[in-house]
Amino acid sequence: MRPVAPLWAILALCLGLAACANDRVALLSGEGGAPAGGVVVIDPASGAERGQLTDANTQAQLDGGAVRPRPLTEHFDALLSAMPAPPRVFTLYFIEGTTQVAPESVATLDELRKVVTPASDVQITGYTDTTGDAAGNDKLSLDRAIEIRAALVQEGLPVANARVTGRGQRDLRVQTGPGVNEPLNRRVEVILR
Amino acid sequence: MRTILVAGLLMAALVSTAGAASAAEIGRIKSVAGDASVVHGKAITPAQAGQLLQVGDVLRTGANGLVGITFVDNSRFAIGPNSRIVLSEYEFDDTTHAGKSLTTVNRGSLAIVSGQIAHENKDAERVRTPTSVLAARGTRFVVQVGP
Repeated sequence: MRPVAPLWAILALCLGLAACANDRVALLSGEGGAPAGGVVVIDPASGAERGQLTDANTQAQLDGGAVRPRPLTEHFDALLSAMPAPPRVFTLYFIEGTTQVAPESVATLDELRKVVTPASDVQITGYTDTTGDAAGNDKLSLDRAIEIRAALVQEGLPVANARVTGRGQRDLRVQTGPGVNEPLNRRVEVILR
Repeated sequence: MRTILVAGLLMAALVSTAGAASAAEIGRIKSVAGDASVVHGKAITPAQAGQLLQVGDVLRTGANGLVGITFVDNSRFAIGPNSRIVLSEYEFDDTTHAGKSLTTVNRGSLAIVSGQIAHENKDAERVRTPTSVLAARGTRFVVQVGP
């Protein structure tokens, strides 16, 4: 359904704007020491791969031809100054069967109280351990996240509009087989973006 | 009878509006410096920190403009001066983390820290330029279009 620009139109656009000669992609180092990962360059018409950048601090022209990686000589400091900080994740544990914060998580709650403002973009994500079935755990983790949001609102945190999600038994904090009762996997993450 | 019907229609309208609004948020603007605007349908508004963004929105910056954005999959954008960036496609299921996104860079510069879409769906976080499509594989990169 999406209209595909014919090649002559792309060429005309490039000539008109004198643009494409300078188009490029640069792969930076991963944030906070994370691996650089990679960027794949794909031909939009055929879907064929033109090449990849896989090493940190390399760049390539986007001129429609094969990717030829070159060293990157600049740091994009001005641009990266506008990059929002990474999301912060606060993990809370609860007394089993309640929405009462476990004693070891009270300090985390106090920290949250200091940093969450009404303008904060907050997501509350619930997780379960592997006891019970996957669908039931999706529901349980969502119910728990909703309950926790209510509990945090009760505690005076401005999170009434936070997004709530239940991820069930995905992303176990402690890897276990099925049917394992594991308190560290029954958790709620409060994510501040 | 008529009153009930009108009330029912109003309720339906309210419910569908609320549903659409909550389903539509894909990210929000975290910071703005210099000249920057958001084109949403036919409406053009100055970009503001805290502003919610939806699929199809266009971000434009002037010669001194800079915009920072976070998305619901935790990916992040920094948009540089003289840019026109379109949030062409964005789907993300925050339970399963299935999803895909396509961002179009018509001109200017865009730095991306990829998020859950790229981490959990191969080659699903994409950027389109006039000549190319780029797929992010869990990474931080910059795309520049134009002089």
